[in-house]
Formats: sequence, structure tokens, C-alpha cells
Amino acid sequence: MSHLWTGEGPIRRRRSDRAQVALVIVILLLLEFYLRPSLVEGKGMPDFLLLSLLLLAIRNSPGTAALIGFIVGLVMDVLTPARFGANILAHVLIGYGAALGRAVVFADHLVVNAGLFFIGAWVRNILVLLLSGTSLARLGAEALMWAPLQGLSTALVGVAVVILFRDWLAIRIE
Amino acid sequence: MRRDAAGRDAVRGDVTLFAVCVGLALVALALPRTWTTALTATIRRTALRPAVMLQARAAEDRSARFRLDRIQASRDSMSLVLQEDALMRRENDQLRSLINLRARLPRPFVAGEVIHRPLPTDPRTLLVGIGTGQGLAQFDPVVTADGLLGYVWSAGPASSAILTWAHPEFRASSVTGDGRVLGMLAPISAGEGGATLLALRGVALRDSLPLGATVFTSGLGGVYPRGIPVGRVISVARDSLGYERIYRVAPFVNPGDALHVLVLTTPRDSTFLPMPGDSTP
Repeated sequence: MSHLWTGEGPIRRRRSDRAQVALVIVILLLLEFYLRPSLVEGKGMPDFLLLSLLLLAIRNSPGTAALIGFIVGLVMDVLTPARFGANILAHVLIGYGAALGRAVVFADHLVVNAGLFFIGAWVRNILVLLLSGTSLARLGAEALMWAPLQGLSTALVGVAVVILFRDWLAIRIE
Repeated sequence: MRRDAAGRDAVRGDVTLFAVCVGLALVALALPRTWTTALTATIRRTALRPAVMLQARAAEDRSARFRLDRIQASRDSMSLVLQEDALMRRENDQLRSLINLRARLPRPFVAGEVIHRPLPTDPRTLLVGIGTGQGLAQFDPVVTADGLLGYVWSAGPASSAILTWAHPEFRASSVTGDGRVLGMLAPISAGEGGATLLALRGVALRDSLPLGATVFTSGLGGVYPRGIPVGRVISVARDSLGYERIYRVAPFVNPGDALHVLVLTTPRDSTFLPMPGDSTP
């Protein structure tokens, strides 16, 4: 009986992995809802909610990532009620696309992860503006100035999170 | 073929889940505004209440930490202005008592901190950490020290959404300082890089405004009381039909920078007081 595999080890490990990932997400949520607004406000600030979505998306299947995107988008639509549904659709597409891209294309490389965070924030902002009925002139200014700036700040924070919590998030950095 | 733990086709499951999420998002986009307003207000005061309260606390902490000097400076200059105006107010009170005129209605207000979100649509609608618990109601006007910001779009117990002048649905009846020219303000994309400004429409062709003229709320419509400064005329736009004059107005308040707001609660100037001796309830 002693050499029968009971499966307890891997299950316990999976639970501890989930707890570690949940802890990282809780830290990001605290950064989003308390630390950032209590220190600085303005355009181009890193989006910790989007970062949470992308970190979860690259660990999960595309369907689960789309569902997480739906929840994150709903939270954003409720807190920034410009056009209800715009954030939900944008985040579902971003979550699904990130998970699909991770499964098909992405390598475990820090620069690739940074690129994912940058493009995720940039494309999300453009999608939200498009779905909210923003004029083309305004869309151009946002797409070329503020969206890349927010993408850059989100990517920098994302890289720091990946480096700090790479063991917890089970991300191999080559 | 990728299969899940139960042996089902995982790819088909992912695509189904994705399609359901996209479908629900499209339904959300198509919902009428009255429904979405009620839905978002309900979620804000139930599931997301801790997040809203945490953000409101963060905004208060930021003000206390970084804006104390500015608050003290504005309080000092305000007290000087009040001291200088004391004589004039006393004269005004005497004149009112001479002609048996009732004192002006007070304009009560509630102050609150703005909770910004790092999203490109943030300036159109803002969240504030005050609600019906502090006396706010839907359509209450919202101002800053510089001028008009917008009105309360939906009010919950501890938080409210403000529709700012940058929202496509914003409208305000307005008037010039001398009361000569009336018009309707609505947002337009006209500035450099598609920046949002206000357009003063409905000005008769016989009327003209000098560049730099200040535009105030007119008090018509019952939402905004008369006399709140809105912005300054910066240029003239062309009406393709030639029926009216259109002026571009640069608002005094930038919704993206607004941190501290005042919500004017009822009664307003447009509220009529009961006549003396009127005993009807």
C-alpha cells in the first residue's frame, strides 16, 4: 500500500498554488482600489485590474479567461458607467485573446510577457473608446498618446509583478 | 484534440463559454439606459460597496496628504474675501428689510471626493464617495470651485455617478453675464487632437458674442440654478444651414482633473417659497 499513489500530494500542491495566485490577485486589487488612488491620479496610470485579468488569462484556458474578462469588465462598467457593456465586451475579447495567444504563440519570456501587458492595455483602451461611441479625432489622440502611455506603465508594473512572484505564478522566465 | 478532466472536448467548451460571454456583453450594450443605470447602482451598493468605500477612503487620504497646503491657501483667501464682503452684505440685508424682501434662499451643498478610474472614458462620468445618505438626489447639479461640472446621474446610499459636461448626453441652458444672449450648451469634439469642448447653440443671428465672454447657466430647465459659470467663448463655428450662430466654449472645469466637488442639493433658486400666510400643506 505504501507505494500506491493516492494523489494527495499534487492536489495539495494545486491548492497551495491557487492560494498563492489568489494572494497575488488580492495584492493587485488592493493596489488598484486603495494604494494608487491614495497616492496619484491621472491618465496613463497602470491598470491593476487589467493586469490581474492578463495574469489569470495566461494561466487558464481561453474560455475561463473570457469568463474572468466578463467579470472584470462588469466591475469596470459599474465603476465607470460611460457606456454599459463596452468594458465587458472589451475585456472578454482581451481575456480570450491573451489565453489563446499564450496557448498558441507566446513563449515564457519576460519581454513577451511585457509585450502582452502593453498590447493588452493599448487594445483594451481602443476597444472601449470605439464601443463607447468616441469620435475618430479623439480616438486618434487616445490611441497614439494616452493608451500607449498606460500600456507602458501597466507593462512595467506587470514585469515587476512577474519577477517578484514568478514562483507563485508558475511563470518560467527564459 | 485537447480534452478536459472529464474527457470532453475542451476547445469546444472554451468557444462556447466565449460565445456566451460575448453574447451577454452585446445584450448589455443593447440594454436601455434606465435599466443599466438601475443595474449599475444596485451592484455598486451591494457587491462592489467595499471597493467603492475603499476608493473613497483613498481619495480622502490623498487630499489630506497632498492637498492640505492648497486647501489652507484657498481657505485663507476665502476668509479675506468674506471679510471684504461683510459690509456689502450688511447693506444688502438693510435694503432688503427696507422693502420687506425675504432673504435669499440658501444654497445647501454636500462636498465629496472624486474617485477616478484609469480608463479613457473616465472624464465622461465620475464616481463620488457621497450619496443619498448625505442628502444627494438624482439631477442635483455638481460644481467645483471653478464652475459647472455636471449633474448627479444616479445616486446610491454611499456613492453616486456624475454625468459631466463631456458626456454626449449633457445639455445645459445658458446665458451670458449681461443676460442678453441665451443658448443651449452641448459637448462637441473640436479642439486640438479631438479634445471635447462645449458648443453654444441656438443663438439668434441678430445676437453676437465677443471672444472671451463668460457663459453661465440660465436657470431654465430646473436642473441647474442660474448663475453658475460654465466657460468662456473661444471661437465661432459655422452653422451649415445658416439658421443660428454657434460658439465654441472652453469649460472652466476639466472633469479629468476634478478631485473635490460640491453637489448643490435642494432647495434651489427655482424652488418657490410658500406665500406668507399661505396655510395650505
